[in-house]
Amino acid sequence: MADCINLTVNGRSERFALDPTTPLLHVLRNDLALNGPKYGCGLGQCGACSVLVDGRAARSCVISLGAVAGRHVTTLEGLVRDGRPDPVQTAFVECQAAQCGYCLNGMIMTVRGLLNQFQRPDRQQIIAALKHNLCRCGTHIAILQAATLAIELNLADVADGESAT
Amino acid sequence: MSGRISQPVAGPLPCAADSVSGPVHYAAVIRPAFYRWHEGRFESARLLDVDRASLGSLGERITVIEAGDFVAVVATEPSLAALAADRLRVHWTSPDIRGNTSVESSDRVAGVLSRHYRWPSRLGWGESEAWVVADCTTHAARLWVGTATPEVLRQDLSMLLSLAPDAIELFSDRSGTGLGRLASDDAAADAAFVSQRIGLPIAIRLDPNYQRDVDALGMAQRWVVRGWGEGAAPERLALKTASPGAAPVVALMLTRPECREPAGNSSAERASPYVGAHPEADDAPDGDDTPRLFAEESFLDEWADERQRDPLELRLELMEDTRGKRLIEAVRERAQWRSPVRHRDRARIPVEGLLHGRGFAYCHVPNVQDSLEAGTRAAWIADVAVDPVTGEVALSRVVVGQDAGAAPDEIALGKALEHALLKPSFPLVTQSGDFDQWGRDAASAGDPPAIDAMIAPLGTPPTTSPRLPAARIEGGTPSWRLSAATLAPGTAAIANALFDATGQRFRQPPFTPARVRAALQGEAADTRPDPGLPARRPWRRKGWLGAAASLVAMGSVAAGMMPWQPAMAPIPHPAAGLYSQAAIERGRLVAEAGDCAVCHTAGPDGETNAGGRAFDTPFGTLYSTNITPDESTGIGNWSYAAFERAMRHGVSRDGRHLYPAFPYTAFAKLSDADMQSLYAYLMTQPPTAAPAVENDLRFPFNIRGLMAGWNALYHDPKPFIPDPTRSALWNRGAYLAEGAGHCSACHSPRNAMGAEKNGDDYLGGALVDGWEAPALNALSKAPVAWTETALYDYLRGGRAEHHGVAAGPMAPVVAGLAELPESDVRAIAHYVASLLPITDTAEAARMAEATLAKSAATVDGFESGERLYNGACASCHDADTVAVFSRAETSLALNTNLHSERPDNVIQAILDGVVAPRAGGENAGEMPAFREQFSDSQLSDLMGYLRARFAPGEPAWQNLEARIGALRATAAGP
Repeated sequence: MADCINLTVNGRSERFALDPTTPLLHVLRNDLALNGPKYGCGLGQCGACSVLVDGRAARSCVISLGAVAGRHVTTLEGLVRDGRPDPVQTAFVECQAAQCGYCLNGMIMTVRGLLNQFQRPDRQQIIAALKHNLCRCGTHIAILQAATLAIELNLADVADGESAT
Repeated sequence: MSGRISQPVAGPLPCAADSVSGPVHYAAVIRPAFYRWHEGRFESARLLDVDRASLGSLGERITVIEAGDFVAVVATEPSLAALAADRLRVHWTSPDIRGNTSVESSDRVAGVLSRHYRWPSRLGWGESEAWVVADCTTHAARLWVGTATPEVLRQDLSMLLSLAPDAIELFSDRSGTGLGRLASDDAAADAAFVSQRIGLPIAIRLDPNYQRDVDALGMAQRWVVRGWGEGAAPERLALKTASPGAAPVVALMLTRPECREPAGNSSAERASPYVGAHPEADDAPDGDDTPRLFAEESFLDEWADERQRDPLELRLELMEDTRGKRLIEAVRERAQWRSPVRHRDRARIPVEGLLHGRGFAYCHVPNVQDSLEAGTRAAWIADVAVDPVTGEVALSRVVVGQDAGAAPDEIALGKALEHALLKPSFPLVTQSGDFDQWGRDAASAGDPPAIDAMIAPLGTPPTTSPRLPAARIEGGTPSWRLSAATLAPGTAAIANALFDATGQRFRQPPFTPARVRAALQGEAADTRPDPGLPARRPWRRKGWLGAAASLVAMGSVAAGMMPWQPAMAPIPHPAAGLYSQAAIERGRLVAEAGDCAVCHTAGPDGETNAGGRAFDTPFGTLYSTNITPDESTGIGNWSYAAFERAMRHGVSRDGRHLYPAFPYTAFAKLSDADMQSLYAYLMTQPPTAAPAVENDLRFPFNIRGLMAGWNALYHDPKPFIPDPTRSALWNRGAYLAEGAGHCSACHSPRNAMGAEKNGDDYLGGALVDGWEAPALNALSKAPVAWTETALYDYLRGGRAEHHGVAAGPMAPVVAGLAELPESDVRAIAHYVASLLPITDTAEAARMAEATLAKSAATVDGFESGERLYNGACASCHDADTVAVFSRAETSLALNTNLHSERPDNVIQAILDGVVAPRAGGENAGEMPAFREQFSDSQLSDLMGYLRARFAPGEPAWQNLEARIGALRATAAGP
């Protein structure tokens, strides 16, 4: 049988005696009951399953468990710190940027991944980052508004964090 | 950066960047087709001309240096220099050889025992791979080299560079062992000469390549020892030498014809501690007692064996020196020496696969005033363990006693001995750069010997304690050096222990695995053939493996063109403990390199090596067999001879012919040591009962006897023969790629009879199992030319920056290569690079940029394909501004498969996805399968778009839908 695979999920060390080719999404939802990431297309096309791997957005349905061995995986649940939602989550709530909401996990995680790399992305960068996240309800305008608000909230949050320390 | 694994294997340069006069360039030398140091004279083929055109595309990036018979290439990257040295064709005259004048006849006079001992010009190529750097001008020279003999090197460099000795600065972190020169001196001279010639700092890699110098430079000293007497102890001993002396550095003899016959050595007389012994010193080299002591101490051991005496008692009986006797007695007690059963013909049975032996040697060296009484005495008892399969010798324990000499105390003596012995590369017993020597980083280096140092408790200390003058070496040196006298008996003690272990007498160092193996297989241990000349074999004795060897010979003769081969008798399963852990580990590496388990395991759920995997061939379906050591359904009752016949000749134990889907055509090239290690490994794996699945072949291919004719036409069972004009790295790579690795089994096209084509078609690309194995020669379709570094990254990690990931049947190959020592994968990369159109990293980056730029343009007429691409592929395959973890790191524009004439690999990848060959790598290529998502016509549209956009220079693929349908029907994923 396969050797154990160790990784960190939302700050906790986890250990799995599973086939390393198991899709990460299945492990997150079925073994850890983390249902933030959604099963959409299963082919890496729609983005509903997005998580962060080492701070970068990743489609967990096409990534195997073995590929994230030793890495840090963050799901939607893991964005909450000390009971406070992440600035990106707050922005999406404030803008009410959802219809059915199935794509929203992917939208939030992708914007989070973008802000991890660029604190002040321009509109073109936001559109490029979200280009491959599909929304069937047509909420794109509200989602872009939320992403723009998220930049401000995130900057304020970073400034708070710095003054607090 | 993670994921990048291409570090230079020889480590960083030994000098800081600001300590040299400019950017360091890299050189590699090309030695004459033949050269040797013989009887104090250098003989070689002479340089006719250098064919610079043979460098091909590399030409403009390489500087070629010619001076006399010295040829070198210089480049800005190490791999380019190494590659250029293997590509450059150089023409030489046939050599001018004087013939062998030294006929060593053994005296057969009654009552006289006479033996010849020899000491080489170079003991080995070096201790470990390293860079040697030289920064030389016409007024000064600075060298960074680990030399054992700095003063002799300085003299040679002074002549080579026409510089005063004190204008030469040597930086070395190595101390002398008193054992003589290493080929690191020759590497240093090569670097110094090239550096002075082109006025730039030059780095040369000291590696097993320099073993050629070791072999060519032959013998420095030859000693004849005679003992008279019929009794238990010799009444008189005489030592006689005719010593041409150690050869100067090769570069000196190649560039300066007048240095081919240097002046003779001064003579000196040395007293011996034994009664009646006197050197007939017509030409004894000055100051260095080690070779003489090796001869004398080996001889006494031989005498003791002839007369069935305890060799330690024999010394005590011969000696009159009380201090020496007390030292020997103290060491005997410390080591718990027991009088061994010392007859050469006694049975020697391996324990845990190892032959154990113990040897004694003693020396007494006069001090600087030639006062024997006050000199340094040292006694050694060495325990060795010899692996009869691999020929490797491990020092397991050493007890060294010294009377109050140069060492301050036992702890310092022990530390200094550790420094000299514990390095895995102690040059006496380490690797010799043979093509079948496995790299060291994965194989365990073995346990270091237990070192037991003692100062004999003596009454009066000697009046003067001789200290060697500290060598003028700068850099980190150990706080205290061993005197040459302390180490001097070591060589003889090991040789005597080797005799005790194996019954074979080694009359010249070093005791490398190849020589030990050769001795055990019945070749005389004390002769080393001169390079390029037929070896003389004065006597033959069947050693431990003699019986096995003759069985093998029988097998080779029998496997001619006979359609029916005799069955070989089944044997009981070989007992556990017959093979050493080292041999089994070596066998595991051979099995990994050969990917045995990939073909002999039926899919992911099959038992490893239990067989049953199906192979669709043009002749019908074949199933792999059970190669676990199960006695009824596997190979548990196969003798080694039967196993070897199957591997080299394709004949099963029961005499049936095997089909060449089993690549015995490649495995025939395995060396004996690797073949035996592989047998040891397979026989010690857990047995699985799994009956063979019947093949389903069409008539007439189901008649196995016809394979006899096939073999006569297409199979050459010759083992691998290294090409002496190529580097050790190249030969190692060729051995792995052509032998165990059987690259050509997939990458060479086959003729109508299923035999691999050769010549220009060798590794020319082929179809296998529904995948295309791309061309690895000039026919390569890679849009960006390969570099050696890229090949290494691809083979080692499964991904190369400008080429993409290993997929399909190549994925398990990469997984197997991950188990091999790094240096071996590097050797394969070097060998394959010598066949491909190759470039340097800067040019590769430019080519990649140009190719990417071409693919940025949109293409018209493929709208439906483009829509599919944007929906299904672009989320991973488009290069966005935001780095996404699951993004494909290599653009499709650089993918060889999209530029190939055949669409097969692209179809396979889309239908069944890509599984990362190496879990845990930096996103080393995973892709979901789209078999269920796309119809044949959708896939055809998509691929038409991919081809037009990412391979704009290539013609559109024809009949795509039909090919997709065919592969969808047969392929079930890798």
